[in-house]
Amino acid sequence: MHALNDAWAAVVAFMASGGPVLLLIAGLTFFMWTLIFERFFYFKSGLKRDVQGAVDTWEARPERKSWGAHQIRYALVSRVSEKIDSNLDMIQTCVALAPLFGLLGTVWGMINVFEVLAITGGGDAKQMASGVSMATIPTMAGMVTALSGVFANTYITRTAQRETQLLEDHLTMDH
Amino acid sequence: MKTSIAKRVLAVAAAGLISVSAVAQDKASSLDQLLKMVQSSKISESAEHKKREADFRRQKANQASLLSQAENTRTSEEARSAALEKKYEEQELLVQQKRQQLDERLGSLKELFGHLTSTAGDLRANLDGSLVSAQYPGRAEFLDQLIDKMNSATKLPTIQEIERLWYELQRETVESGKVVKFNSTVILPDGEQAQQEVVRVGNFNVVSNGKYLEMNDSLKLAELIRQPDGHYQKMASNLQNATSGFTAFGVDPTGPTGGSYLKAMINSPSIVERWHQGDKVGYIITAVGVFAILLAVWRLIVLSGVNSKVNAQLRSSTPNTNNPLGRVLAVAEENKGVDGETLELKMEEAVLKERPAIESGLNLLKIIAMVAPLLGLLGTVTGMIVTFQAITIFGAGDPKAMAGGISSALVTTVLGLCVAIPTVLLHTVVNGRAKRILHILDEQSAGIVAENAERK
Repeated sequence: MHALNDAWAAVVAFMASGGPVLLLIAGLTFFMWTLIFERFFYFKSGLKRDVQGAVDTWEARPERKSWGAHQIRYALVSRVSEKIDSNLDMIQTCVALAPLFGLLGTVWGMINVFEVLAITGGGDAKQMASGVSMATIPTMAGMVTALSGVFANTYITRTAQRETQLLEDHLTMDH
Repeated sequence: MKTSIAKRVLAVAAAGLISVSAVAQDKASSLDQLLKMVQSSKISESAEHKKREADFRRQKANQASLLSQAENTRTSEEARSAALEKKYEEQELLVQQKRQQLDERLGSLKELFGHLTSTAGDLRANLDGSLVSAQYPGRAEFLDQLIDKMNSATKLPTIQEIERLWYELQRETVESGKVVKFNSTVILPDGEQAQQEVVRVGNFNVVSNGKYLEMNDSLKLAELIRQPDGHYQKMASNLQNATSGFTAFGVDPTGPTGGSYLKAMINSPSIVERWHQGDKVGYIITAVGVFAILLAVWRLIVLSGVNSKVNAQLRSSTPNTNNPLGRVLAVAEENKGVDGETLELKMEEAVLKERPAIESGLNLLKIIAMVAPLLGLLGTVTGMIVTFQAITIFGAGDPKAMAGGISSALVTTVLGLCVAIPTVLLHTVVNGRAKRILHILDEQSAGIVAENAERK
C-alpha cells in the first residue's frame, strides 16, 4: 500500500512538472491502447466466430460458381473485413497525433520559459527550469506513445491483412 | 468682443483726459498771472532753503556725537568678543575633557551600542519586507528612533528601549512561524478599503476570503489584481475556515524576500490575452479552426443520418430511394433481366454517382488539418521577424523586449497545433463513417442484389 502511494505521488509529480499537455497525452495514450487491446481481443475471440460464420454460410450454398455466387462471396468477405479493419484508422491517427501533442507541449513550455524571461530578464534559471521541463517531458511522452503505438499498429495491421487473406482463401470456389 | 474693445478704448481715452487736466492746473492762464506765480515761488523757495541750511548745521553737530558714540560701542564690543573667545577656548577644552571622560566611562558600552545599531539596522531592513508588519504596524518608527538615539552624541538609549529591541527581534522570529488570523484594512482591486479578517501564514503569504494579498510600500495589505488558480484560492479559503489540524495550502516560497512569484503572476498574461498575442495570423487560424469543426460536425450529422438509413436498407429487401444503397439497389431492380456483367457496370455507375455526396468536405478537412500547423509556422516566422527587427533597433541587450515577441510568436504555433489536432481526429471519425457507407456500396451492393434474387 505504501509503495502504491509512493508510485501515485511520483505519477502526480510527473504530471505536474509536465504541464497540462501531458494530461492530454495521457488521455490519448489511454484511448489508443484501449483500441489496440480491443483489437487484440477481437483477433483472439470474435474473429474466429465471424470467420466461421462466413465459411459456414459459403459452404451451405448449393452452388458456388455463378455470377451471383461470386458477388455473395465478395459481400461475405467485405463484411468480415469491415469488422477486422474497424478502429485501425483511429489507431493510426492516434499514432500520428502523439508527436503533434508532444510538439504542442514543447511550444507551451517554451512560452512559459520566455514569459519568465520577459518578467525576470533571464536572471532566474530556477523559474525557467519549470518551463523547460514542461517543454521536454511532453515531447518525450509523445514520442514514447507514438513508438509504442507504431509497434502495436504494425502488428495489428499485418494481422488484419493476413486474416482477410486467410478468409478469402477459405471461401473456395468450385471453378 | 466688440463692446469690450470699445470699452477699453473709452477707458484709455478717459485716463488721458484726466492726466491732461492735472497738468493744466499748474499752468497760468495769462502772462501777469505767470509773473505773480514766479514771484511767490521765489519767496517760498528762499525760505525753504534757509530752513534746510539751519537743519543741516544742527545735524552736523549731532553726527559728530553719534560717531563718537559708535566708536565707543565698537571698542567695548571688541573687548567683549575677546573675552568670549577666550571663554570659548577654555570651554572647548572642557568639552574635550568631558568627551574623553564620557568615552572612558562608556568603555565597552560603546562597542555594545555599535552592535545594537547594526542589529537594529538589520531588523529595520527585515521588517520593511516582512508580512508581520501588516499585523504589528509602528515597529519601524521605534527602530528609527533607537538608531537616531544611538548615533547621536548627546542621547543614550534607555534600558527599556534596548530591551524592546530584543523583544522585537524575538517577536519577528516567533511570528514568522505562526499562522494567525487578525483583522486588517485591505485595499480591494477597485481601490476601496475594507476591514476584513485576514490570515497570515508565517512570513510567506497573507490571504483573505480565498484571495491572496500583497503588502505595498506603505505597509498596507492589497488584494492581488490577478489571483492564482481557483485550486489555490480554495486552499486559501479552506485555511481561513479551518480551526485545527493540518490544511493544505499553496505557499509562495519567495514570500520572505518580497513575494516575487506572486508579483510575477500579475505580469503573466491570461489565456485570452495570450490568444490576442497571436495577432492577425492567430485570428486567421482560429477562424479556420472554427470553420473546420463546424464542417466536421455538419458532415458527421449528415453521414450519421445516411448511415442509419443504409442500416435500415440492409434489413429490408425492398429498395428505398431515400438512401444511397437503396438507390443503387433500385438500379439493379430496374435492370432485372440483363446479364451479370452489364448489371455490375450499371451498379458501378450508380455507386460513382453517390460518391461525391458522401465524400464532400472530407478533403477540405484534411487540407485544414495540414494547413493549420503551416499557418502556425507562418505566425512564428512573422513573430520572429518582428523580434529581430526589435533587436536591430534596440540591440540584444534587453532580453525582456525580445522575450515578449518570441512568446507571442510561439502562440501561433500553439494555435496551429490546437486546430490541427482536433481536425485530424474529427477527419478520422468522419472519414470512418463515409468509408463504411462506401464500403457497403462498393463491395456489398452486388452481393445484396444476388442474395435478394436467390431468396425469391
